[in-house]
Amino acid sequence: MLTEREIHRYSRQIAFIGEEGQERLKAAHVVLAGAGGLGCPAATYLAVAGVGRLTIIDSDKVEMTNLNRQILHWEQDIGRNKTVSAREKLGAMNPDLFIEDVCEVITGQNASALIGRAALIIDALDNFPARYALNLAALEHGIPCIHGAVSGYDGHITTVIPGETACLQCIFPDPPGGSEFPIIGTTAGIIGLMQAHEAIKFLTGGGTLLKNRLLIWDGRDSSVTFLDLERDPVCRACGECTQGAGSERGEP
Amino acid sequence: MKITVRAFARFREVVGDVTALDLPEGSGLPALLAALASRSDESRDLLVDEQGTIREHIIFMVNRKRVSRSALDSIILAEGDEVAIYPPVAGG
Repeated sequence: MLTEREIHRYSRQIAFIGEEGQERLKAAHVVLAGAGGLGCPAATYLAVAGVGRLTIIDSDKVEMTNLNRQILHWEQDIGRNKTVSAREKLGAMNPDLFIEDVCEVITGQNASALIGRAALIIDALDNFPARYALNLAALEHGIPCIHGAVSGYDGHITTVIPGETACLQCIFPDPPGGSEFPIIGTTAGIIGLMQAHEAIKFLTGGGTLLKNRLLIWDGRDSSVTFLDLERDPVCRACGECTQGAGSERGEP
Repeated sequence: MKITVRAFARFREVVGDVTALDLPEGSGLPALLAALASRSDESRDLLVDEQGTIREHIIFMVNRKRVSRSALDSIILAEGDEVAIYPPVAGG
């Protein structure tokens, strides 16, 4: 049930998604894996949209070199945990938001416990070993996951629905290499915002999701290309022959 | 026969936006990749590893349909085909 204050605060979007849509956002628990370049814009828009509960997972501390894109972290936050920095800013933006901050590295051992019974996961991580661990946990719990990744001018996003769409391992059976990547802040902003947009559509039931479609963003000429995806029947994570076989693949 | 190559992300910076390649009739996808790899050291590094094997993480599409790794060697191209190459990004 929405309060009078909430009905007023969200009136411009309630006019679009209805009170029912707003109530769905309020009732939702979203896990945000990563509070960096993708996670900051995604979390910002989910927070101000009125998502009720956010769990933010990140093990890093804020560094000076993060500040060109990680907009929830400021100069004063250098050296502090990203999760704490993000929680403070998001809480100030929307005091009605319930935020849990988890300062941990996502691994095959803890991913399942960390995502719990969330309605949705945002994969805003910066490395594929952790992404694979998150993917396996999401499949195990049947929780949809919106995956995004960026580098330089380039980014991509897709929505994984366990049992229905290609999973992360189907799409990327082998991890791209590299650890430190060059990045223009706006690229992370665009893809992170698309992740929040996809999340709001999923939670309110509106629009058409990026199911079995990989949206590839090329910021050089601001072009978008779609790659059709399909499940891999012999996928090491979600293939029928591997169902229930545990997380032998992709654990960091 | 003329084959159009659409390169994405880092690969686009190396080989350009849309590249038309002229290949002998009946050429397969491996021949096209070999032709692209031979264009420059950078192009080769992006496509193949030290052993000369096509890098596992790259996504290939022929006429906008994804080509699985296992099918890559058996794909025969035809005049006018479009091959798209996407080396996925990983950062966040």
